[in-house]
Amino acid sequence: MPSRRQTASSHPKFAVVGHPNKGKSSIVSALALDDSVQISDTPGTTTKKRSFPLSVDGKVLYELFDTPGFQRARRVLAWLEKHDVPANKKHEVVQAFIDTHKDDERFNDEIELLEPIMDGAGIIYVVDGSQPYGEEYETEMEILRWTGQPSMALINHIDETDYSEEWKRALEHYFKMVRTFNPMQTNFEQHMSILESMAQLKEEWIAPLKASIKLFKQYQEQMLERSASLVTRLVYESVSAVEKLSFYTHEASEEERQKIERNYKDRLRDLEVTTQKHIEEIWNHGHLQKEEKVLTFEGMDLFSEETASVFGLTRKELLITGVTSGAVTGAGIDLLFAGHTLLLGGAIGALVGGTGAYFGFNELSEVKVLGQTMGRRYLEMGPMENRNFPYILLGRTMYHTMKVAQTSHAKREVFDIEMDQTFKEKWLDDISRKSLEKYHKKFRSGNALEAEELKVYEALIKRILKHLIDA
Amino acid sequence: MNIKSYVNLYELLQVNPSTREENRAFGLTQVMLKNKPVEQILAWVEKHKYRLKKPFLSETFSSYLYRVTFALVLIAFALGLLAGMGLLSYSGHEPVNVIYFIAVAIFIPLFTMILTFLAMLRAHSAESVLVHISPAFWMEKMLGFLPGKIEEKIKALQINPLLANWVIIRRAQIIVLFFSFGLLLSLLGVVVTKDIAFAWSTTLHISPETFHGFLHTVAFPWREIAPSAVPSLELIEQSQYFRLGDKLDEEMIAHASQLGEWWKFLAFSTLFYAIFLRILMFILASFGFSFAVKQSLLTLKGTTKLLREINEPIISTHAKKREKAFIADDESYSQIVNRLDASYDGIQGWAIPQSELLVLGDSMKIISPEHFEVGGANSFEEDSEVIFKSHGEVLLFVKAWEPPTMDFVDYLTELTDKIDKVVVVPIGTVENHYETTPKEIDVWENKLSSLGDEKVWLKRSSAKALSREALNAES
Repeated sequence: MPSRRQTASSHPKFAVVGHPNKGKSSIVSALALDDSVQISDTPGTTTKKRSFPLSVDGKVLYELFDTPGFQRARRVLAWLEKHDVPANKKHEVVQAFIDTHKDDERFNDEIELLEPIMDGAGIIYVVDGSQPYGEEYETEMEILRWTGQPSMALINHIDETDYSEEWKRALEHYFKMVRTFNPMQTNFEQHMSILESMAQLKEEWIAPLKASIKLFKQYQEQMLERSASLVTRLVYESVSAVEKLSFYTHEASEEERQKIERNYKDRLRDLEVTTQKHIEEIWNHGHLQKEEKVLTFEGMDLFSEETASVFGLTRKELLITGVTSGAVTGAGIDLLFAGHTLLLGGAIGALVGGTGAYFGFNELSEVKVLGQTMGRRYLEMGPMENRNFPYILLGRTMYHTMKVAQTSHAKREVFDIEMDQTFKEKWLDDISRKSLEKYHKKFRSGNALEAEELKVYEALIKRILKHLIDA
Repeated sequence: MNIKSYVNLYELLQVNPSTREENRAFGLTQVMLKNKPVEQILAWVEKHKYRLKKPFLSETFSSYLYRVTFALVLIAFALGLLAGMGLLSYSGHEPVNVIYFIAVAIFIPLFTMILTFLAMLRAHSAESVLVHISPAFWMEKMLGFLPGKIEEKIKALQINPLLANWVIIRRAQIIVLFFSFGLLLSLLGVVVTKDIAFAWSTTLHISPETFHGFLHTVAFPWREIAPSAVPSLELIEQSQYFRLGDKLDEEMIAHASQLGEWWKFLAFSTLFYAIFLRILMFILASFGFSFAVKQSLLTLKGTTKLLREINEPIISTHAKKREKAFIADDESYSQIVNRLDASYDGIQGWAIPQSELLVLGDSMKIISPEHFEVGGANSFEEDSEVIFKSHGEVLLFVKAWEPPTMDFVDYLTELTDKIDKVVVVPIGTVENHYETTPKEIDVWENKLSSLGDEKVWLKRSSAKALSREALNAES
């Protein structure tokens, strides 16, 4: 009987198999960084095997299979055991089982899960470590042993109760490697560690899986860079945004003034929500269930005082930032004149910066009436004058990005962005604040920015994000 | 690379003409352009330009810019001619004072060039006053009077302030250059058609020697190659004119033929200061413009993403096929038992050892003559034997946390063929004192509901179950 393994393609394959409802799909979802996998408490959610290839520019490095759970394991084993064959022929009997029962609906799930294994996939057998071990699992493990494929077991911790030790003792009889893994709380290091274990299953798989690990690191870096780029664009566009509203009477009414302020705020809110959505897509969390856009951050609006108190700078911090930034500009003038200004540049700069910061604490931007002499009158609001705003926006976006990046792809419940009052201390130190302020000032000016300047700001954001996500 | 490239890219990024895969494929095929972002963008624009609606906005914009510039160039040239003729207007009574012409041909160009240079340094600024005073700045305003839809499209185009400033600076040089051409042409025309007596006159106490020294310095670029275009001290002395004399100096009249010699100096001054230096400024502005186009291409919204898509490998971990949506049955099961009877004809446990069944029966005070383990590690023969022995009403314990498999369903189907009633009792773990969670029971309820077997009952102890049992009793 010819073996299907002889025709198998060169990249490593892994089939995630096990009893129904033991978290196979959660594990696949976490390992494949794909939140579109259907996961539910109802057994039998997965009815067909599904392939999750890790590919770079179309070249597959390894392939993961999500499979349905065993349904009639005892019948399969009974069929296999009817064939008295030596160990080196057992896999052929499994293949014969598949060939014989291909059209038998009763064994649909078993065929779906055995097929990738017989095509050369390594076995990742998943059990639930929070539930006690049962003898009935031995039937499934025995079937897997008949396939002769390299295998490992993953103890999935679904809830707090821990039966890992009794599971380990049993699993070690059947599998050369037993690892514990919680797909709900996995992080990058744990993910890579599982891949390293998978590489150990077969010598030929070490190189491609090492390449995959390298690629995942590159992927992580890509996601960070793309997020930083979006955050940079968000801050730049929000701070420099200008809203216009034409009016046709002699003077703009109060209602029109309120309208332009409303439009201006809505525009900035939309920018924030759109960026959040894109960041979720970057981190493959496009299916995250989230509360309504205005309800993000526990209903804290972008312009609320609450948001300002959690994410914004205090008046004192803002004053120091303004003074320092102004002084730096002034010092530049002093340097230009080789100190002949008696360092007045620095002092004046500090005073101007500090005063600006103090007065720019609450108001967003002045509503200006333009075009009076040209007959076409319009109100204009923006760029953002509030010096605190970029920090509030940055804080919220950084927090959201960190949460998204740290959320497991196996999670399916509503994404809750609970507040963390100490968050600001985690990301915004004095040095970062000073560096950021320099750019915020440029964003506010509405002047053209050089690509390099945006890149430097982006690098700064990336560094902060990396620090937050890795923490 | 010009403003058309910028506008084309601007438009293409708005319509987003290619997928990430296509962009990466483009990057892989254009290996020669790797690490050359501007070239990559330009090549990408060329590749996808055909997707834009015709006429291209870039063509329209460029054409309007050209027309407005051309109109301004004509006006500037005419103004130059008129200014030249005005400055050189000669009635025959008084000589023409060269100081006015020197001011227009040398000092005003030098002053405006300094302003231009400062504007170049401040080109990043969106509100640069120096740019706003330029005549070219008003070209932008003129675009506001364009007709209909084109006006809308061009107005919607958000040009990077850096690029807009450089467009103005560069075009301003062309306009002023043509003004200077007009000035030079009028000088040559007047010199050819009239016999002009030039003189110099000033209220300031400037001696001919000092003036000569000044002019000698001014003429430094051409004094070696065209010495006749530098006024000699003798000519300067002869052509000094004092208005209060009320009549021409006798010496001046005696050397009338030499007074015309000034034109050479004036022509070379115009050529060098108003034209040559302006051409240099234009070249400098062209470099600045080119740099601004590059910068603007790179800072345009969407460019960073595009470059990433072109240069970064596509790493994918997703499934190729979409999963068929799973719709869980959430039917409520009508055959619910809340309280167990005191005795049953048999107690069975699905993958639960006989010893545990005895303990369970004892703890629940249920009497039964037979206790059997089924499923689990049993063979099918052993299960068949249990079914053969079964009769009447059977209590079937199952592990609540293990969802029912088809193996269990097969057994249940065979069992119900033989007996009158089976009550499935999900139990929790020993550690939880056999307590189950509603979620676990729901899983069992859904499965049994899908079987629809009248002989199969489910034991669940909840308010929901109690009310359902009461309903069953009433019916």
